[in-house]
Amino acid sequence: MNRRLTLSSALLISLVALGSSCGEDEADLTIYSGRTDDLIGPILDDFSKETGIKVEVKYGQSADLALLLDEEAEAGRDNVDVFISQSPGAMGYLEDRGRLATLPSNVLELVPTEVRDDEERWVGLTGRQRVLVYNSDLLDAESLPSSVFDLTDPEWKGRIGVAPGNGSFQDFVTAMRITEGDDATIAFLEGLAANDPVTYENNNAIVEAVARGEVEVGLVNHYYNYRRLVEVPDSPTANHVFDEGDPGALLIITGIAILEGADGNEDALKLVEWLLGVEAQKYFADETFEYPLAIGSTPSSGIPSITFADVGGIDFSDLGAGLQRTREMITEAGLAG
Amino acid sequence: MTSRAEAGRFPRQLGVVAIAALFVAPGLLVVWRAATFGGSAADTLAELREPALRSLQLALLVSLSAAILGTTLAWLTTCTDLPGRRVWRVLLVLPIALPSFVGTTAILAGFTPGGFLASIWEALGAEPPRRIRGLFPAWLLLTLFSYPFVLLPVSARLRALRASLDESAQLLGASAIERFVRITFPQIRAAIVGGTLIVALYMLSEFGAVQLLGFDTLTRVIYATRQVDRATSFMAAAMLFAASLAVVAAVRAGYGRVATDVRAGTGPARLVRLGWAAPFALLVCVGVVAVGIGAPLSSLITWAARGIREGRVSLGDLLTPIQNTAQVAVLTAIVTLLVVLPVAISAIRHRDVAGRAASVAIVAGFALPAIVIALSIAVLALNTPTLNRLYQTMPLLIVAYVVHFGSQALGSVEQGVRAVSPAVLDSSRLIEPSWWRRLLRIELPLMRNGLVAGGGLVVLAVVKELPATLLLAPIGFRTLSTDVWASFEEGFLANAAVGSLALLAVSGTLSWLLVFRDGVTRDL
Repeated sequence: MNRRLTLSSALLISLVALGSSCGEDEADLTIYSGRTDDLIGPILDDFSKETGIKVEVKYGQSADLALLLDEEAEAGRDNVDVFISQSPGAMGYLEDRGRLATLPSNVLELVPTEVRDDEERWVGLTGRQRVLVYNSDLLDAESLPSSVFDLTDPEWKGRIGVAPGNGSFQDFVTAMRITEGDDATIAFLEGLAANDPVTYENNNAIVEAVARGEVEVGLVNHYYNYRRLVEVPDSPTANHVFDEGDPGALLIITGIAILEGADGNEDALKLVEWLLGVEAQKYFADETFEYPLAIGSTPSSGIPSITFADVGGIDFSDLGAGLQRTREMITEAGLAG
Repeated sequence: MTSRAEAGRFPRQLGVVAIAALFVAPGLLVVWRAATFGGSAADTLAELREPALRSLQLALLVSLSAAILGTTLAWLTTCTDLPGRRVWRVLLVLPIALPSFVGTTAILAGFTPGGFLASIWEALGAEPPRRIRGLFPAWLLLTLFSYPFVLLPVSARLRALRASLDESAQLLGASAIERFVRITFPQIRAAIVGGTLIVALYMLSEFGAVQLLGFDTLTRVIYATRQVDRATSFMAAAMLFAASLAVVAAVRAGYGRVATDVRAGTGPARLVRLGWAAPFALLVCVGVVAVGIGAPLSSLITWAARGIREGRVSLGDLLTPIQNTAQVAVLTAIVTLLVVLPVAISAIRHRDVAGRAASVAIVAGFALPAIVIALSIAVLALNTPTLNRLYQTMPLLIVAYVVHFGSQALGSVEQGVRAVSPAVLDSSRLIEPSWWRRLLRIELPLMRNGLVAGGGLVVLAVVKELPATLLLAPIGFRTLSTDVWASFEEGFLANAAVGSLALLAVSGTLSWLLVFRDGVTRDL
C-alpha cells in the first residue's frame, strides 16, 4: 500500500510538473482553422520558418469555430487574428454577425473577383469542385448524366447518396438558388427526394458507401475520392464531372479572413498574402488535390483543369447569408432525414 | 457527537449545492437560450418529434441489451472458472476505449471492397452487406461499444460481495443459477441499474455512430442545426436535458430505496464451475471481443500498415499528443473523484436532500452532447469576470470534462461509499478522533474498489473525448482524439489509424496500471 501510494504521488507530481512546463512561447499570430492539421499544418510551419512569425492554431469544425469566435467577440475577447474556413457557410455566418475586418485591395486582387467576398471581408484560398462519385464496378462512365438535374429521373431511384446536413451540399443548393432560382431549386430537391436517396453525414461517408456499393453514385466534393485512392488504391470509385456551367459542377471555396479585432494586423495580412503565394498554392494543388485560386496558379497534373467560367459567375458571398432558407428548403423537400 | 455533526451540516450542504450548480449550469444556459432565441416553439417541437422518439427508442433498446450483456460478462469473468478470465477482464473493457466514430468508421470501411471484413464474408461464400444503416446496426454496434459501462461497476460489486451467504446457500443445495437469482442479483442490482442508466444517457447524447449509420436522433439535429438554425438546436438540447433530468430523478428515486448488504467482502467466494457451459461462455466472449474491438482493429491495422509501408506516416508526431492525452486524463480522473466523493457521501451517508439533488444533476448532465456542454461552458467562462481568465486553459478544460463525465464516476464512487458500513464508521470514531486520518486510513482503503473503478471510467472517457477538447483546450494543445478526428475528417486514413491505435494503447495501459492490474482492486 505504502509503496503504491509513493508511486502514485510521484506520478501525480511529475504530471503536474509536466503540465506547468507545457506553456509555449508567446505566438505572434493566433489562427482558428476549420481546415485540419493534415491539410494546412505543414504549410503553416513553412510560413513560420520563412517569415519568423510564430503562429498558434486551434483546429476544429468550421461551424463550431465560427460559433466560438462569435461568442468570444460577444464577450469582448479578441485575441484571435485569422479564421480559415472549410466552407463559405461558416464564413458567411461570421460576416453576417459583423465579426470580420475589411481586407486591403492588394490582397483581394490576388484572386479573381469570382472567388472573393463582395464586401471585401474574405478571399478564397482553394476550391473543391462538386462532382458525382460513382462505383466503377457497377456503372460505366458513359451511362452517367451530364447534368445534376438528371438525377431526379426515376431511373436513379434508391441509387444516390447525398449529405443534406453537410455544409458543402448546402452551399451547392444555395448556389443553385442563385443561378437557377428558388422554384427550380425546390423542384430539383423534391425530385431528388422522390428518388429516395440515401443520406449520409459527410462526403467521406458517401465515397465509402459508393465503394461498398450501398449506393451507386453520390454528390460530393472532388477531393475526397482522390484522397481515398491514395489510402485505398484498389477502391472501385471514380469522379464524374457534370457539364460546364451545370450547378452540379460548382466550385466550393475554402476561405480566409481577418477578425475584426485584428484589423490592420501586419502579420495577419502577411499570412493571407503568403497563403495565396506561389509556394503555398502549389502545395494545396499537389498535396491536397485542390484547385488553387490565386491568379496564375495551376492545379495538379492529375486533376482535370477548370476555369472559373466553368462554375458560372456565382456570387459566393451570398452563400453564407442564405443558408438558413436553404436548410429550410432542403428539410421541406424531405431530404434532411 | 450529534451537535458536532449538526454544526458541520450547513457548510457541507453549501459545498454540495455549489457542485450541483456547476453541473446544471450548462443545461440551464441551454434552456434559457432555447426560451429566448425565438422561433416558433410549436413548429420546432413538431420537427423534433420523430428524432426525439428515435433517441428514446435507441436509448431503451441499447440500455436493455447492454445491461444483460454487461451483467453476464461481469459474472462470467468474476464468479466462474471461465478459462483465461484474467485476460478477458481486460479485453472485454477495450470496446469503450475507441471513440464510437472511429469504431463505426472502421467497421463500415471493413465492408468496402478489399476490406478485411468483406474478404471474410467472401471467403465464406457470402456477399458482404452493402447497406449498413438504421436502427439494427446502430443498436448492435452501440450495445457492443457501451456494455462495459455495466460490466465495470457490476464486476467491482461482485468482487466485493461476501462469500458467506452464497456458501450457505450452496450447502443447502441451491444451484448456481438459483444462487445468482436469489442471492447475488439483489446485491448487484444497484450497480446494474447505475451502469444501465449511464448507457441510456450515453445513447441520448451519442453522435459519432448514429450519424455514420444514418439513424436520425435528436443529437444529430443539434449538430446539423447548430449554426444555421440555432433556435432549433437549443430547443433540441433543452428537450434532451429535460428528458434526462426526469429519467434520472425517477430511476434514482426508485432504486434509492432498495436496501442491499453492501459491506465489503471477507474473501472471494468459491468460483462457479461452468463445466459443459464453458465453451458457450467462451464463444460469447470471443464474439463480443471480435465485433467490438477486433473488427475495427482489422481496418485500422490495414490502413496503418499501408501508410507506414508507403512512408506516409511519421510516428514521432505522436509523442506530444500521447503525453498530453495521458496527462489530462489522469488529472481529470483525480479531480472528478475529489468533486464527486463529497456528493456521494452527502447523498448516501447523510441522506441529504442537497446531496441527492446534486447526484441527479451530475448524472443527468451526461445526456447533453459534449458539443453543447463545451459551448455552454465557453459562454459561461467568457462572460464571467475572473473566470474568463481561465478560458482556453487546462483548468477550464478539466472542469468541462468533470461536468461531462462526473456521471461515469458517481455510480462507482457511491458503491465505494456504501462499502463503509455505519458500524465501521462508529467504531472508527472511537479509535481515531481526527476525521481526516479516519478518512485516509480507514474509509478510503475501504472505498478503494469503487473509487478506482470510477476513476478508470473517467480516464477511458477523457482519452476519447473530442468536441470539448477541440473547443476548450489551450490553443495548440493536441490530443490523440483531436489528431484522429482531424485525419478522419479529411480522409487521411493511415494517420487516423495510427493515432487510433496509439489511443487504444494509451487507454489500455492507463486502465491496466490504474484499475486492472492484479492487486489494485483485489486485496482489500
